[in-house]
Amino acid sequence: MHKLLSNRMTIFVLVAPGLLLFLFMVCFPIAMSAYYGMTDWRGIGDYQFIGLDNYIEILTRDGVFWRSLLNALLLLAATLLIQHPIALLFSIFVTHAGRFEKLFRTVFFIPAVISIVVTSKMWVSVFHPNYGVLNKLLTAVGLESLKQDWLGDPSLAIWCVIFVIMWQGFGYALLLYYAGLQGIPKDLYEAAELDGAGRMKLYTKVVIPLLTPMVRVAVVIAVTACLKQMETIFLMTNGGPLNTTQFIGNYLYKTAFSSSLYGYGNAISVIFVIVCLIMTVMMNRVFKKDVGEF
Amino acid sequence: MLRKGLLQTVLWMVALLQLFPLIWLINYSFLKSGEFFGSGILKWPQTPEWNNYISAFTYGSVPKYLWNSAFITIAAILAAAVLSLMLGYAFTRMEWRLRGVFMAVIMLGMIVPIHATLLPNFILFDWIKLLDNPLALILPYIAFSLPISTLIISGFMETIPRSIEESAVMDGCSVYGVIFRILMPMTKPALATVCIMNFISWWNEFIMANTFLTSETFKTLPFSIMKFAGQYSSNYGAQFAVMTMIALPTVIMYLLFTEQMSRGITAGAVKG
Repeated sequence: MHKLLSNRMTIFVLVAPGLLLFLFMVCFPIAMSAYYGMTDWRGIGDYQFIGLDNYIEILTRDGVFWRSLLNALLLLAATLLIQHPIALLFSIFVTHAGRFEKLFRTVFFIPAVISIVVTSKMWVSVFHPNYGVLNKLLTAVGLESLKQDWLGDPSLAIWCVIFVIMWQGFGYALLLYYAGLQGIPKDLYEAAELDGAGRMKLYTKVVIPLLTPMVRVAVVIAVTACLKQMETIFLMTNGGPLNTTQFIGNYLYKTAFSSSLYGYGNAISVIFVIVCLIMTVMMNRVFKKDVGEF
Repeated sequence: MLRKGLLQTVLWMVALLQLFPLIWLINYSFLKSGEFFGSGILKWPQTPEWNNYISAFTYGSVPKYLWNSAFITIAAILAAAVLSLMLGYAFTRMEWRLRGVFMAVIMLGMIVPIHATLLPNFILFDWIKLLDNPLALILPYIAFSLPISTLIISGFMETIPRSIEESAVMDGCSVYGVIFRILMPMTKPALATVCIMNFISWWNEFIMANTFLTSETFKTLPFSIMKFAGQYSSNYGAQFAVMTMIALPTVIMYLLFTEQMSRGITAGAVKG
Protein backbone atom coordinates (compact mmCIF):
# COMPACT_ATOMS: atom_id res chain seq x y z
CA MET A 1 0.00 0.00 0.00
CA HIS A 2 2.76 2.40 0.96
CA LYS A 3 4.56 1.76 -2.31
CA LEU A 4 1.38 2.38 -4.25
CA LEU A 5 0.66 5.61 -2.39
CA SER A 6 4.10 7.09 -2.88
CA ASN A 7 4.29 6.34 -6.59
CA ARG A 8 5.54 9.55 -8.16
CA MET A 9 3.84 8.99 -11.47
CA THR A 10 0.46 8.58 -9.78
CA ILE A 11 0.99 11.69 -7.69
CA PHE A 12 1.92 13.63 -10.80
CA VAL A 13 -1.14 12.47 -12.72
CA LEU A 14 -3.43 13.36 -9.82
CA VAL A 15 -1.97 16.73 -8.94
CA ALA A 16 -0.66 18.16 -12.20
CA PRO A 17 -3.93 18.98 -14.03
CA GLY A 18 -5.49 20.91 -11.17
CA LEU A 19 -2.32 22.51 -9.94
CA LEU A 20 -1.11 23.60 -13.38
CA LEU A 21 -4.48 25.06 -14.28
CA PHE A 22 -4.52 26.92 -10.99
CA LEU A 23 -1.00 28.27 -11.44
CA PHE A 24 -1.78 29.25 -15.02
CA MET A 25 -5.06 31.01 -14.25
CA VAL A 26 -4.39 32.52 -10.83
CA CYS A 27 -0.69 32.76 -9.98
CA PHE A 28 0.81 33.46 -13.39
CA PRO A 29 -1.59 36.37 -14.08
CA ILE A 30 -0.53 38.02 -10.83
CA ALA A 31 3.11 37.76 -11.91
CA MET A 32 2.09 39.32 -15.24
CA SER A 33 0.38 42.14 -13.34
CA ALA A 34 3.52 42.74 -11.31
CA TYR A 35 5.41 43.16 -14.60
CA TYR A 36 2.85 45.36 -16.39
CA GLY A 37 2.46 47.36 -13.20
CA MET A 38 6.03 48.52 -13.75
CA THR A 39 5.22 49.97 -17.17
CA ASP A 40 3.29 52.93 -18.49
CA TRP A 41 1.41 50.79 -21.02
CA ARG A 42 -1.91 52.22 -22.17
CA GLY A 43 -3.29 48.98 -23.58
CA ILE A 44 -2.01 49.43 -27.11
CA GLY A 45 1.30 50.41 -28.71
CA ASP A 46 4.70 50.65 -27.09
CA TYR A 47 5.40 51.10 -23.46
CA GLN A 48 8.26 52.03 -21.21
CA PHE A 49 9.59 50.36 -18.15
CA ILE A 50 9.16 52.81 -15.29
CA GLY A 51 10.15 50.72 -12.29
CA LEU A 52 8.14 51.25 -9.13
CA ASP A 53 6.71 54.64 -10.16
CA ASN A 54 3.11 53.37 -10.43
CA TYR A 55 3.27 51.64 -7.07
CA ILE A 56 4.71 54.71 -5.37
CA GLU A 57 2.13 56.94 -7.04
CA ILE A 58 -0.72 54.73 -5.81
CA LEU A 59 0.48 54.51 -2.25
CA THR A 60 1.53 58.12 -1.80
CA ARG A 61 -0.57 60.31 -4.05
CA ASP A 62 -3.62 58.43 -5.30
CA GLY A 63 -6.59 59.77 -3.34
CA VAL A 64 -9.06 57.46 -5.09
CA PHE A 65 -7.10 54.39 -4.03
CA TRP A 66 -7.14 55.49 -0.41
CA ARG A 67 -10.79 56.43 -0.69
CA SER A 68 -11.43 52.86 -1.92
CA LEU A 69 -9.66 51.44 1.12
CA LEU A 70 -11.56 53.82 3.38
CA ASN A 71 -14.84 52.64 1.82
CA ALA A 72 -13.88 49.03 2.52
CA LEU A 73 -13.24 50.09 6.10
CA LEU A 74 -16.62 51.86 6.31
CA LEU A 75 -18.31 48.78 4.93
CA LEU A 76 -16.44 46.62 7.45
CA ALA A 77 -17.49 48.87 10.32
CA ALA A 78 -21.12 48.75 9.19
CA THR A 79 -20.92 44.98 8.71
CA LEU A 80 -19.47 44.33 12.15
CA LEU A 81 -21.50 46.90 14.08
CA ILE A 82 -24.87 46.54 12.33
CA GLN A 83 -25.14 43.44 10.16
CA HIS A 84 -23.46 40.95 12.47
CA PRO A 85 -25.27 41.87 15.69
CA ILE A 86 -28.60 41.69 13.85
CA ALA A 87 -27.62 38.39 12.22
CA LEU A 88 -26.59 36.98 15.59
CA LEU A 89 -29.83 38.13 17.18
CA PHE A 90 -31.87 36.70 14.31
CA SER A 91 -30.04 33.40 14.39
CA ILE A 92 -31.24 33.10 18.00
CA PHE A 93 -34.76 34.18 16.95
CA VAL A 94 -34.76 31.57 14.22
CA THR A 95 -33.99 28.77 16.67
CA HIS A 96 -37.12 29.83 18.56
CA ALA A 97 -39.34 30.04 15.50
CA GLY A 98 -40.81 26.59 16.05
CA ARG A 99 -42.15 24.98 12.92
CA PHE A 100 -40.97 27.91 10.77
CA GLU A 101 -37.32 27.51 11.80
CA LYS A 102 -36.20 25.95 8.55
CA LEU A 103 -38.34 28.25 6.43
CA PHE A 104 -36.82 31.43 7.89
CA ARG A 105 -33.30 30.12 7.69
CA THR A 106 -33.84 29.31 4.02
CA VAL A 107 -35.59 32.55 3.10
CA PHE A 108 -32.99 34.79 4.75
CA PHE A 109 -30.30 33.31 2.53
CA ILE A 110 -32.15 33.69 -0.77
CA PRO A 111 -30.72 37.11 -1.74
CA ALA A 112 -27.25 35.56 -1.59
CA VAL A 113 -28.05 33.07 -4.35
CA ILE A 114 -29.70 35.55 -6.71
CA SER A 115 -27.48 37.06 -9.38
CA ILE A 116 -26.01 40.42 -8.38
CA VAL A 117 -27.04 41.68 -11.81
CA VAL A 118 -30.66 41.15 -10.83
CA THR A 119 -30.46 42.43 -7.25
CA SER A 120 -28.47 45.51 -8.29
CA LYS A 121 -31.03 46.36 -10.96
CA MET A 122 -33.75 46.05 -8.37
CA TRP A 123 -32.04 48.33 -5.84
CA VAL A 124 -31.12 50.90 -8.48
CA SER A 125 -34.80 51.08 -9.37
CA VAL A 126 -35.79 51.29 -5.69
CA PHE A 127 -33.40 54.24 -5.19
CA HIS A 128 -34.40 56.00 -8.44
CA PRO A 129 -35.11 59.69 -7.65
CA ASN A 130 -38.30 59.91 -9.77
CA TYR A 131 -39.72 56.42 -10.15
CA GLY A 132 -38.10 54.72 -7.17
CA VAL A 133 -40.18 52.95 -4.57
CA LEU A 134 -38.27 54.55 -1.71
CA ASN A 135 -39.15 58.14 -2.64
CA LYS A 136 -42.73 57.10 -3.42
CA LEU A 137 -42.98 55.51 -0.01
CA LEU A 138 -41.69 58.67 1.67
CA THR A 139 -44.29 60.73 -0.19
CA ALA A 140 -47.02 58.30 0.78
CA VAL A 141 -46.30 58.62 4.49
CA GLY A 142 -45.99 62.41 4.32
CA LEU A 143 -42.21 62.62 4.61
CA GLU A 144 -41.69 64.31 1.25
CA SER A 145 -38.94 66.47 2.69
CA LEU A 146 -36.76 63.36 3.07
CA LYS A 147 -36.88 62.50 -0.64
CA GLN A 148 -33.38 62.20 -2.06
CA ASP A 149 -31.41 61.43 -5.17
CA TRP A 150 -30.09 58.46 -3.22
CA LEU A 151 -27.40 57.17 -5.55
CA GLY A 152 -26.59 60.56 -7.07
CA ASP A 153 -25.72 62.30 -3.83
CA PRO A 154 -21.98 62.08 -3.05
CA SER A 155 -22.52 61.83 0.68
CA LEU A 156 -25.48 59.42 0.58
CA ALA A 157 -24.55 57.01 -2.20
CA ILE A 158 -21.95 55.10 -0.21
CA TRP A 159 -24.48 54.35 2.56
CA CYS A 160 -27.01 53.11 0.03
CA VAL A 161 -24.42 50.80 -1.49
CA ILE A 162 -23.32 49.60 1.95
CA PHE A 163 -26.94 48.88 2.82
CA VAL A 164 -27.42 46.77 -0.31
CA ILE A 165 -24.23 44.79 0.31
CA MET A 166 -25.23 44.15 3.90
CA TRP A 167 -28.71 43.15 2.82
CA GLN A 168 -27.36 40.60 0.35
CA GLY A 169 -24.82 39.17 2.80
CA PHE A 170 -27.21 39.02 5.76
CA GLY A 171 -28.16 35.38 5.22
CA TYR A 172 -24.52 34.37 5.04
CA ALA A 173 -23.70 35.91 8.42
CA LEU A 174 -26.86 34.43 9.88
CA LEU A 175 -25.98 30.98 8.54
CA LEU A 176 -22.59 31.07 10.27
CA TYR A 177 -24.06 32.08 13.63
CA TYR A 178 -26.87 29.57 13.26
CA ALA A 179 -24.32 26.81 12.63
CA GLY A 180 -22.45 28.02 15.71
CA LEU A 181 -25.63 27.77 17.78
CA GLN A 182 -26.26 24.23 16.54
CA GLY A 183 -22.80 23.32 17.81
CA ILE A 184 -23.73 24.18 21.39
CA PRO A 185 -24.89 21.05 23.25
CA LYS A 186 -28.60 21.09 24.11
CA ASP A 187 -28.06 19.94 27.70
CA LEU A 188 -26.18 23.17 28.41
CA TYR A 189 -29.42 25.09 27.92
CA GLU A 190 -31.22 22.70 30.22
CA ALA A 191 -28.51 22.90 32.87
CA ALA A 192 -28.65 26.69 32.81
CA GLU A 193 -32.43 26.58 33.11
CA LEU A 194 -32.20 24.22 36.09
CA ASP A 195 -29.80 26.65 37.71
CA GLY A 196 -32.52 29.24 37.42
CA ALA A 197 -30.86 31.42 34.81
CA GLY A 198 -33.37 33.50 32.84
CA ARG A 199 -33.49 33.68 29.04
CA MET A 200 -31.44 36.88 28.96
CA LYS A 201 -28.82 35.55 31.30
CA LEU A 202 -28.71 32.24 29.46
CA TYR A 203 -27.74 34.02 26.26
CA THR A 204 -25.39 36.65 27.61
CA LYS A 205 -23.57 34.37 30.07
CA VAL A 206 -23.66 30.99 28.37
CA VAL A 207 -24.54 31.00 24.69
CA ILE A 208 -22.76 34.07 23.35
CA PRO A 209 -19.45 33.30 25.10
CA LEU A 210 -19.63 29.82 23.57
CA LEU A 211 -20.17 31.41 20.17
CA THR A 212 -16.96 33.43 20.35
CA PRO A 213 -15.00 31.07 18.07
CA MET A 214 -17.67 31.45 15.38
CA VAL A 215 -17.69 35.21 15.84
CA ARG A 216 -13.96 35.18 15.18
CA VAL A 217 -14.44 33.20 11.97
CA ALA A 218 -17.18 35.57 10.84
CA VAL A 219 -14.97 38.61 11.50
CA VAL A 220 -12.04 37.16 9.56
CA ILE A 221 -14.33 36.46 6.61
CA ALA A 222 -15.95 39.89 6.78
CA VAL A 223 -12.58 41.65 6.50
CA THR A 224 -11.61 40.06 3.19
CA ALA A 225 -15.17 40.12 1.89
CA CYS A 226 -15.34 43.89 2.43
CA LEU A 227 -12.04 44.42 0.62
CA LYS A 228 -13.18 42.31 -2.31
CA GLN A 229 -16.47 44.10 -3.03
CA MET A 230 -16.80 44.94 -6.69
CA GLU A 231 -19.83 43.68 -8.64
CA THR A 232 -22.50 45.56 -6.70
CA ILE A 233 -20.54 48.81 -7.06
CA PHE A 234 -19.84 48.19 -10.73
CA LEU A 235 -23.54 47.76 -11.46
CA MET A 236 -25.05 50.32 -9.10
CA THR A 237 -22.76 53.35 -9.22
CA ASN A 238 -19.54 52.33 -11.00
CA GLY A 239 -17.74 54.05 -8.14
CA GLY A 240 -19.50 57.38 -8.60
CA PRO A 241 -20.57 60.04 -7.87
CA LEU A 242 -17.06 61.55 -7.74
CA ASN A 243 -15.49 58.22 -6.71
CA THR A 244 -17.27 58.36 -3.36
CA THR A 245 -18.42 54.75 -3.70
CA GLN A 246 -15.20 53.45 -5.21
CA PHE A 247 -13.81 50.05 -4.16
CA ILE A 248 -10.40 48.69 -5.19
CA GLY A 249 -11.74 46.00 -7.50
CA ASN A 250 -13.87 48.45 -9.41
CA TYR A 251 -11.19 51.14 -9.41
CA LEU A 252 -8.59 48.94 -11.06
CA TYR A 253 -11.13 47.84 -13.65
CA LYS A 254 -12.13 51.39 -14.47
CA THR A 255 -8.52 52.56 -14.58
CA ALA A 256 -7.54 49.87 -17.07
CA PHE A 257 -10.60 49.64 -19.30
CA SER A 258 -12.17 53.12 -19.16
CA SER A 259 -9.15 55.33 -18.61
CA SER A 260 -6.83 53.01 -20.62
CA LEU A 261 -4.15 53.20 -17.93
CA TYR A 262 -3.40 49.51 -18.23
CA GLY A 263 -0.02 49.58 -16.49
CA TYR A 264 -1.37 51.62 -13.61
CA GLY A 265 -4.40 49.35 -13.27
CA ASN A 266 -2.13 46.33 -13.00
CA ALA A 267 -0.12 48.02 -10.27
CA ILE A 268 -3.40 48.52 -8.35
CA SER A 269 -4.16 44.80 -8.92
CA VAL A 270 -0.87 43.77 -7.36
CA ILE A 271 -1.32 46.03 -4.35
CA PHE A 272 -4.87 44.65 -4.05
CA VAL A 273 -3.54 41.07 -3.80
CA ILE A 274 -0.90 42.10 -1.29
CA VAL A 275 -3.42 43.94 0.89
CA CYS A 276 -5.69 40.87 0.88
CA LEU A 277 -2.78 38.58 1.75
CA ILE A 278 -1.57 40.77 4.59
CA MET A 279 -5.05 41.21 6.02
CA THR A 280 -5.80 37.47 5.86
CA VAL A 281 -2.54 36.50 7.56
CA MET A 282 -3.00 39.18 10.19
CA MET A 283 -6.62 38.31 10.90
CA ASN A 284 -5.81 34.63 11.16
CA ARG A 285 -3.00 35.35 13.60
CA VAL A 286 -5.16 37.54 15.79
CA PHE A 287 -8.56 35.92 15.62
CA LYS A 288 -8.71 32.41 14.38
CA LYS A 289 -7.75 29.85 16.91
CA ASP A 290 -9.56 26.64 17.72
CA VAL A 291 -13.00 26.62 16.22
CA GLY A 292 -14.00 22.99 16.49
CA GLU A 293 -15.90 20.96 13.94
CA PHE A 294 -18.98 21.93 12.01
CA MET B 1 -47.61 34.41 23.98
CA LEU B 2 -47.30 38.10 23.15
CA ARG B 3 -43.52 37.80 23.00
CA LYS B 4 -43.86 34.83 20.70
CA GLY B 5 -46.16 36.81 18.42
CA LEU B 6 -43.80 39.76 18.32
CA LEU B 7 -40.89 37.49 17.47
CA GLN B 8 -42.84 35.93 14.61
CA THR B 9 -43.84 39.35 13.27
CA VAL B 10 -40.26 40.62 13.22
CA LEU B 11 -39.07 37.44 11.53
CA TRP B 12 -41.78 37.66 8.87
CA MET B 13 -40.98 41.30 8.17
CA VAL B 14 -37.31 40.62 7.54
CA ALA B 15 -38.20 37.50 5.55
CA LEU B 16 -40.34 39.71 3.33
CA LEU B 17 -37.47 42.17 2.83
CA GLN B 18 -35.20 39.29 1.83
CA LEU B 19 -37.78 37.76 -0.48
CA PHE B 20 -38.70 41.08 -2.06
CA PRO B 21 -36.49 40.84 -5.18
CA LEU B 22 -37.97 37.50 -6.10
CA ILE B 23 -41.54 38.66 -5.63
CA TRP B 24 -40.80 41.87 -7.50
CA LEU B 25 -39.20 40.03 -10.42
CA ILE B 26 -41.95 37.50 -10.83
CA ASN B 27 -44.63 40.13 -10.39
CA TYR B 28 -43.16 42.47 -13.00
CA SER B 29 -42.47 39.66 -15.43
CA PHE B 30 -46.24 39.23 -15.77
CA LEU B 31 -47.11 42.89 -16.41
CA LYS B 32 -48.26 44.37 -19.69
CA SER B 33 -46.13 47.24 -21.03
CA GLY B 34 -48.73 49.81 -20.00
CA GLU B 35 -48.77 48.63 -16.40
CA PHE B 36 -45.18 49.44 -15.47
CA PHE B 37 -45.55 53.10 -14.66
CA GLY B 38 -47.58 54.82 -12.04
CA SER B 39 -47.57 54.39 -8.32
CA GLY B 40 -47.47 51.31 -6.17
CA ILE B 41 -44.73 48.88 -5.34
CA LEU B 42 -46.21 45.65 -6.55
CA LYS B 43 -48.89 45.70 -9.22
CA TRP B 44 -51.21 42.82 -9.62
CA PRO B 45 -51.71 42.39 -13.36
CA GLN B 46 -55.22 42.21 -14.84
CA THR B 47 -54.26 38.97 -16.49
CA PRO B 48 -50.78 37.43 -16.25
CA GLU B 49 -48.87 38.36 -19.37
CA TRP B 50 -47.24 35.07 -20.39
CA ASN B 51 -46.34 36.78 -23.65
CA ASN B 52 -43.35 38.36 -21.89
CA TYR B 53 -41.80 34.93 -21.60
CA ILE B 54 -42.76 33.99 -25.11
CA SER B 55 -41.28 37.16 -26.58
CA ALA B 56 -38.14 36.78 -24.47
CA PHE B 57 -37.71 33.37 -26.01
CA THR B 58 -38.70 34.06 -29.59
CA TYR B 59 -37.44 37.53 -30.44
CA GLY B 60 -34.18 37.64 -28.57
CA SER B 61 -31.14 35.44 -28.45
CA VAL B 62 -32.22 34.29 -25.03
CA PRO B 63 -32.27 30.57 -25.87
CA LYS B 64 -28.70 30.90 -27.08
CA TYR B 65 -27.61 32.77 -23.93
CA LEU B 66 -29.39 30.20 -21.80
CA TRP B 67 -27.56 27.41 -23.59
CA ASN B 68 -24.22 29.25 -23.21
CA SER B 69 -24.79 29.78 -19.51
CA ALA B 70 -25.80 26.17 -18.97
CA PHE B 71 -22.94 24.74 -21.04
CA ILE B 72 -20.23 26.93 -19.50
CA THR B 73 -21.47 26.43 -15.94
CA ILE B 74 -21.88 22.67 -16.23
CA ALA B 75 -18.52 22.17 -17.96
CA ALA B 76 -16.82 24.18 -15.22
CA ILE B 77 -18.49 22.43 -12.28
CA LEU B 78 -17.93 18.92 -13.65
CA ALA B 79 -14.26 19.57 -14.38
CA ALA B 80 -13.82 21.22 -10.98
CA ALA B 81 -15.44 18.24 -9.23
CA VAL B 82 -13.16 15.69 -10.95
CA LEU B 83 -10.00 17.76 -10.48
CA SER B 84 -10.67 18.48 -6.82
CA LEU B 85 -11.48 14.81 -6.20
CA MET B 86 -8.05 13.94 -7.63
CA LEU B 87 -6.36 16.71 -5.65
CA GLY B 88 -8.24 15.72 -2.52
CA TYR B 89 -7.03 12.15 -2.85
CA ALA B 90 -3.44 13.24 -3.44
CA PHE B 91 -3.57 15.57 -0.44
CA THR B 92 -5.19 13.16 2.02
CA ARG B 93 -3.95 9.70 0.95
CA MET B 94 -0.82 9.90 -1.16
CA GLU B 95 2.49 10.11 0.64
CA TRP B 96 4.77 12.82 -0.71
CA ARG B 97 6.91 15.53 0.69
CA LEU B 98 5.56 18.60 -1.05
CA ARG B 99 1.88 18.04 -0.37
CA GLY B 100 1.72 20.64 2.41
CA VAL B 101 3.32 23.23 0.16
CA PHE B 102 1.07 22.55 -2.82
CA MET B 103 -2.04 22.43 -0.66
CA ALA B 104 -1.08 25.87 0.71
CA VAL B 105 -0.52 27.20 -2.82
CA ILE B 106 -4.00 26.11 -3.89
CA MET B 107 -5.52 27.57 -0.74
CA LEU B 108 -4.04 30.93 -1.72
CA GLY B 109 -6.84 31.03 -4.26
CA MET B 110 -9.31 31.75 -1.46
CA ILE B 111 -7.42 34.92 -0.63
CA VAL B 112 -6.65 36.21 -4.12
CA PRO B 113 -9.51 38.39 -5.36
CA ILE B 114 -10.93 37.31 -8.72
CA HIS B 115 -10.80 40.93 -9.83
CA ALA B 116 -7.03 41.03 -9.58
CA THR B 117 -6.82 38.47 -12.39
CA LEU B 118 -9.12 40.32 -14.78
CA LEU B 119 -6.55 42.64 -16.35
CA PRO B 120 -3.68 40.17 -16.82
CA ASN B 121 -5.98 37.37 -17.98
CA PHE B 122 -7.40 39.69 -20.61
CA ILE B 123 -3.90 40.03 -22.11
CA LEU B 124 -3.13 36.35 -21.54
CA PHE B 125 -6.28 35.26 -23.39
CA ASP B 126 -5.47 37.72 -26.14
CA TRP B 127 -2.04 36.08 -26.59
CA ILE B 128 -3.32 32.53 -26.67
CA LYS B 129 -6.33 33.52 -28.82
CA LEU B 130 -8.92 32.59 -26.24
CA LEU B 131 -10.71 35.94 -26.04
CA ASP B 132 -14.34 35.49 -26.94
CA ASN B 133 -14.14 31.74 -26.46
CA PRO B 134 -16.09 29.75 -23.83
CA LEU B 135 -12.77 28.46 -22.48
CA ALA B 136 -11.89 32.00 -21.38
CA LEU B 137 -14.62 31.56 -18.79
CA ILE B 138 -14.48 27.83 -18.15
CA LEU B 139 -10.76 27.77 -17.30
CA PRO B 140 -10.77 30.53 -14.65
CA TYR B 141 -14.08 29.24 -13.27
CA ILE B 142 -12.49 25.83 -12.71
CA ALA B 143 -9.32 27.37 -11.26
CA PHE B 144 -11.23 29.53 -8.78
CA SER B 145 -13.44 26.57 -7.80
CA LEU B 146 -10.47 24.41 -6.84
CA PRO B 147 -9.49 25.87 -3.44
CA ILE B 148 -12.88 25.61 -1.72
CA SER B 149 -13.80 22.37 -3.53
CA THR B 150 -10.53 20.66 -2.65
CA LEU B 151 -10.88 21.83 0.94
CA ILE B 152 -14.39 20.41 1.30
CA ILE B 153 -13.60 17.13 -0.47
CA SER B 154 -10.37 16.59 1.49
CA GLY B 155 -12.20 17.26 4.73
CA PHE B 156 -14.80 14.67 3.81
CA MET B 157 -12.24 12.08 2.68
CA GLU B 158 -10.47 12.29 6.04
CA THR B 159 -13.60 10.83 7.59
CA ILE B 160 -13.70 7.78 5.29
CA PRO B 161 -11.86 4.78 6.78
CA ARG B 162 -8.88 3.68 4.72
CA SER B 163 -9.47 -0.02 5.27
CA ILE B 164 -11.95 -0.14 2.38
CA GLU B 165 -9.35 1.18 -0.03
CA GLU B 166 -6.73 -1.18 1.33
CA SER B 167 -8.85 -4.23 0.73
CA ALA B 168 -9.69 -2.99 -2.77
CA VAL B 169 -5.98 -2.70 -3.51
CA MET B 170 -5.45 -6.25 -2.16
CA ASP B 171 -8.03 -7.36 -4.71
CA GLY B 172 -5.92 -5.81 -7.44
CA CYS B 173 -7.60 -2.42 -7.83
CA SER B 174 -5.37 0.43 -9.04
CA VAL B 175 -5.20 3.83 -7.34
CA TYR B 176 -7.36 5.32 -10.09
CA GLY B 177 -9.85 2.51 -9.62
CA VAL B 178 -9.92 3.27 -5.90
CA ILE B 179 -10.59 6.95 -6.58
CA PHE B 180 -13.21 6.69 -9.27
CA ARG B 181 -14.93 3.39 -8.47
CA ILE B 182 -14.77 3.28 -4.69
CA LEU B 183 -14.19 6.75 -3.26
CA MET B 184 -16.22 8.74 -5.77
CA PRO B 185 -19.53 7.10 -4.82
CA MET B 186 -18.65 7.46 -1.15
CA THR B 187 -17.80 11.17 -1.43
CA LYS B 188 -21.12 11.92 -3.15
CA PRO B 189 -22.39 14.21 -0.36
CA ALA B 190 -19.25 16.35 -0.54
CA LEU B 191 -19.29 16.31 -4.34
CA ALA B 192 -22.92 17.42 -4.34
CA THR B 193 -22.13 20.29 -1.97
CA VAL B 194 -19.22 21.41 -4.11
CA CYS B 195 -21.19 21.22 -7.36
CA ILE B 196 -24.12 23.22 -5.98
CA MET B 197 -21.90 25.93 -4.52
CA ASN B 198 -19.98 26.22 -7.78
CA PHE B 199 -23.17 26.17 -9.82
CA ILE B 200 -24.50 29.18 -7.94
CA SER B 201 -21.22 31.11 -8.23
CA TRP B 202 -20.68 30.51 -11.93
CA TRP B 203 -24.24 30.71 -13.13
CA ASN B 204 -24.35 34.20 -11.60
CA GLU B 205 -20.86 35.27 -12.63
CA PHE B 206 -20.75 38.21 -15.00
CA ILE B 207 -17.63 40.32 -14.50
CA MET B 208 -15.34 37.83 -16.26
CA ALA B 209 -17.98 37.33 -18.93
CA ASN B 210 -18.13 41.10 -19.32
CA THR B 211 -14.35 41.22 -19.71
CA PHE B 212 -13.42 38.18 -21.78
CA LEU B 213 -16.34 37.90 -24.16
CA THR B 214 -16.58 40.49 -26.89
CA SER B 215 -19.15 39.23 -29.38
CA GLU B 216 -22.73 38.02 -29.07
CA THR B 217 -21.88 34.40 -29.79
CA PHE B 218 -20.92 33.19 -26.32
CA LYS B 219 -22.68 35.67 -24.07
CA THR B 220 -24.07 34.21 -20.88
CA LEU B 221 -27.44 35.18 -19.43
CA PRO B 222 -26.39 37.57 -16.62
CA PHE B 223 -24.00 39.34 -18.97
CA SER B 224 -26.63 39.63 -21.70
CA ILE B 225 -29.10 41.33 -19.41
CA MET B 226 -26.58 43.74 -17.94
CA LYS B 227 -26.97 46.14 -20.80
CA PHE B 228 -30.46 45.15 -21.89
CA ALA B 229 -29.38 45.00 -25.48
CA GLY B 230 -31.18 46.91 -28.22
CA GLN B 231 -34.32 44.99 -28.96
CA TYR B 232 -35.36 44.86 -25.30
CA SER B 233 -34.79 48.46 -24.33
CA SER B 234 -38.50 49.23 -24.46
CA ASN B 235 -39.91 45.78 -23.77
CA TYR B 236 -39.84 45.87 -19.97
CA GLY B 237 -41.94 42.77 -19.60
CA ALA B 238 -39.43 40.68 -21.56
CA GLN B 239 -36.55 42.14 -19.55
CA PHE B 240 -38.17 41.01 -16.33
CA ALA B 241 -38.96 37.62 -17.82
CA VAL B 242 -35.26 37.19 -18.65
CA MET B 243 -34.19 38.37 -15.18
CA THR B 244 -36.57 35.86 -13.65
CA MET B 245 -34.99 33.14 -15.75
CA ILE B 246 -31.57 34.16 -14.44
CA ALA B 247 -32.69 34.15 -10.81
CA LEU B 248 -34.89 31.06 -10.70
CA PRO B 249 -32.38 28.27 -11.46
CA THR B 250 -30.10 29.22 -8.55
CA VAL B 251 -33.02 29.74 -6.19
CA ILE B 252 -34.50 26.35 -7.13
CA MET B 253 -31.11 24.65 -6.77
CA TYR B 254 -30.70 26.25 -3.39
CA LEU B 255 -34.18 25.22 -2.25
CA LEU B 256 -33.57 21.64 -3.37
CA PHE B 257 -30.17 21.38 -1.71
CA THR B 258 -30.40 23.81 1.21
CA GLU B 259 -28.74 21.44 3.67
CA GLN B 260 -25.81 20.53 1.44
CA MET B 261 -25.18 24.17 0.67
CA SER B 262 -25.39 25.33 4.25
CA ARG B 263 -22.99 22.61 5.32
CA GLY B 264 -20.55 23.48 2.55
CA ILE B 265 -20.58 27.17 3.34
CA THR B 266 -20.00 26.64 7.05
CA ALA B 267 -17.26 24.07 6.43
CA GLY B 268 -15.59 26.42 3.95
CA ALA B 269 -15.80 29.31 6.39
CA VAL B 270 -14.51 27.44 9.39
CA LYS B 271 -11.70 25.53 7.72
CA GLY B 272 -10.71 28.12 5.13
